[in-house]
Amino acid sequence: MQDLLNVVTLGSIYLLFALGMALVWGTIGILNFAHGATFMFSAFVGHLVTRETELPFLPVVAVSVLVGAAIAALTQLLAFQPILKRSKNQHAAEMRILIGGIGVAAIPLALAQHQTRSSPFGFNSSYDAEVMDVFGLRLTTTSAVIIVSGLAIGIGLTVWVRRSRQGLALRAIGVDAETAAGMGVNRTALAFGTMATAGALAGLAGALLTFQLGAIAPETGDQLLIKAFAIIVLGGLGSMAGTVIGAYVLAGAETLVLNLNYGTWVDAVSFGLIFLILLARPQGLLGRKEVRRT
Amino acid sequence: MGSAARKRRTLLAGLAVSAVVATAACGGPEAGGSGGGGIEKTIKIAQVQDQTGPIAYAGLGASEGAELAIEEIEQQNFLGEGVKIELQKLDTAGEIERASSEMNKAMGDRDVDAIIGPAATQQAAAVAPLVGRQKVPTVFTQAGGQGVVINDYTFRVTPPMESYYELAVDYLDKKGVKTISVLYNATFPTFAELGEKRVPQMAKDRGIEIVQSLPVQMTTQDFAGQSQQIARKNPDALVMLLIAPQSVTALRQLKDAGYDNLIVATSVQAAGNIKEAGDAANGLVYPVPFSTAMDGESSAAFTEAFRKKFNKDPDPYAADGYDAMWFIARAIKASGDSSREGIRKGLAQVAKEGFTGAMGNLTFEGNDARIEGALVQWQDGKEILAQ
Repeated sequence: MQDLLNVVTLGSIYLLFALGMALVWGTIGILNFAHGATFMFSAFVGHLVTRETELPFLPVVAVSVLVGAAIAALTQLLAFQPILKRSKNQHAAEMRILIGGIGVAAIPLALAQHQTRSSPFGFNSSYDAEVMDVFGLRLTTTSAVIIVSGLAIGIGLTVWVRRSRQGLALRAIGVDAETAAGMGVNRTALAFGTMATAGALAGLAGALLTFQLGAIAPETGDQLLIKAFAIIVLGGLGSMAGTVIGAYVLAGAETLVLNLNYGTWVDAVSFGLIFLILLARPQGLLGRKEVRRT
Repeated sequence: MGSAARKRRTLLAGLAVSAVVATAACGGPEAGGSGGGGIEKTIKIAQVQDQTGPIAYAGLGASEGAELAIEEIEQQNFLGEGVKIELQKLDTAGEIERASSEMNKAMGDRDVDAIIGPAATQQAAAVAPLVGRQKVPTVFTQAGGQGVVINDYTFRVTPPMESYYELAVDYLDKKGVKTISVLYNATFPTFAELGEKRVPQMAKDRGIEIVQSLPVQMTTQDFAGQSQQIARKNPDALVMLLIAPQSVTALRQLKDAGYDNLIVATSVQAAGNIKEAGDAANGLVYPVPFSTAMDGESSAAFTEAFRKKFNKDPDPYAADGYDAMWFIARAIKASGDSSREGIRKGLAQVAKEGFTGAMGNLTFEGNDARIEGALVQWQDGKEILAQ
């Protein structure tokens, strides 16, 4: 049971990180490779602020969330939107956005590496995680917050994208941006809002993960980026519920490999498993089959 | 051969001799020394190390140490009146390809007399054959893995971790430890070597049983599962061989899992790299080649001079850079020749004799440094000598 709890905690960490990325990729079609840097730099600003003055848990989280939203919004405004405007077709835009994201990511990464000399950084917070005993299982208060946040936001986003008018509009953009625009969907405003929301989620993940791990390094975001990419593909692009399931499947596979004491095989076995699942279901666990019209 | 051709040759030879004389008159090498090439008025050393990227701390620290050494060397007129050392920093940015290209740039610059080589093993091992072929004396700092000190032109001033890790296992033995777990990053070459070969052998030699060996990857970020496994086994001590961010997380999660026994780590945890672990890091013991807690005369003098110049504590990487630069300066003095070949001969000579630096007494096995090291304990935000 303790292992199951570890799976849920690790899966929730992955989920919090992957949700923002899945939201923009699955709806407005932007594969944002700057998401990891946004995550890291949000936490880094939290670190800089708390270095000046000790803060409780919630203000630190609030700082990171706001910084994450601001970075993502600026990325959309200054990088992705101009790329979209200047690209002749969707395929060219996607490729340029991908490269643009990598370029954008390099800036906060270099800044944080320069400031920290790539040493780990954390928060100077009055919050101190406590270990709870729940039915004989050990659970820290931070883990509990991560599990609740991950699941609540994951389910909330799934419902919002499926049921709300804005969610419908977003999905319409994902299917056919030009037709959606013709139907009155303000693509620019929605894309801007979606990116800001995704950035806020990256900031939330950055703050919570830093509290959970004690410290992160400037490169931590890059490592999570690959896992998030795998989770979204496994769950099925465009399906928020798929992302939720994908996160826990990856965490479960990793924990299983670790418990068998094959620690160096974690990535190989986990990603191998994902590969096998994708062989059987190329569209991912909950993805819809692509329909090509000629 | 006609007389016109002979005249032309004589004229060219005369021009060549004039050029050599003119060069010597315009501040060329001073005479002297066993190398016979003399010491230049300006000696150029290239530092080809990470100034940015994931291990920038190693290169930046070494830069500061080297700058302090240069200041001392020049103030003392150690290499002669008015002899200056110019330090050219070339950034490898954590990339092997970049390390190769920057090394080629440095080796191609005929003004560069010696190189302080990359601090990452992968980078250092990639460029080590090149410096042998190009005959450029290169002193590596850190880069503790295999394939770095491989020819007459490669030297290493930081002792490999495994050469002084016995300090940690001796400490466990002294504390009466009978059982240990090993948690190690198996994708980090030095830790893989220690975790899979050296520590098991050292433990066996002392009658200590390894009850658990847990390898993890470079990408492992959450240690909750491993921490609980260790807490369940409850060994007398844990040998933790992890990189800096991993160790912060592991220390906190071990505490959360209820593991309170002794933990020994490595010099990677030095330089304040574990301060973010807070109270969970208290009591952590690790062997280091240098620490501000070291009370030897040369180490204390270095610490004091560093604090005076930079208004902060030196880290082990600064000690590396400082000793590397002094190693090169001693080599130039020993051979009396600041040419590349002169420095190589001097380095070999100094390596045979050993010298005293920031890390204490350095002796060499071939071209590879060895030290006694020190065992330190992290307590309330600073290092103290472990008792």
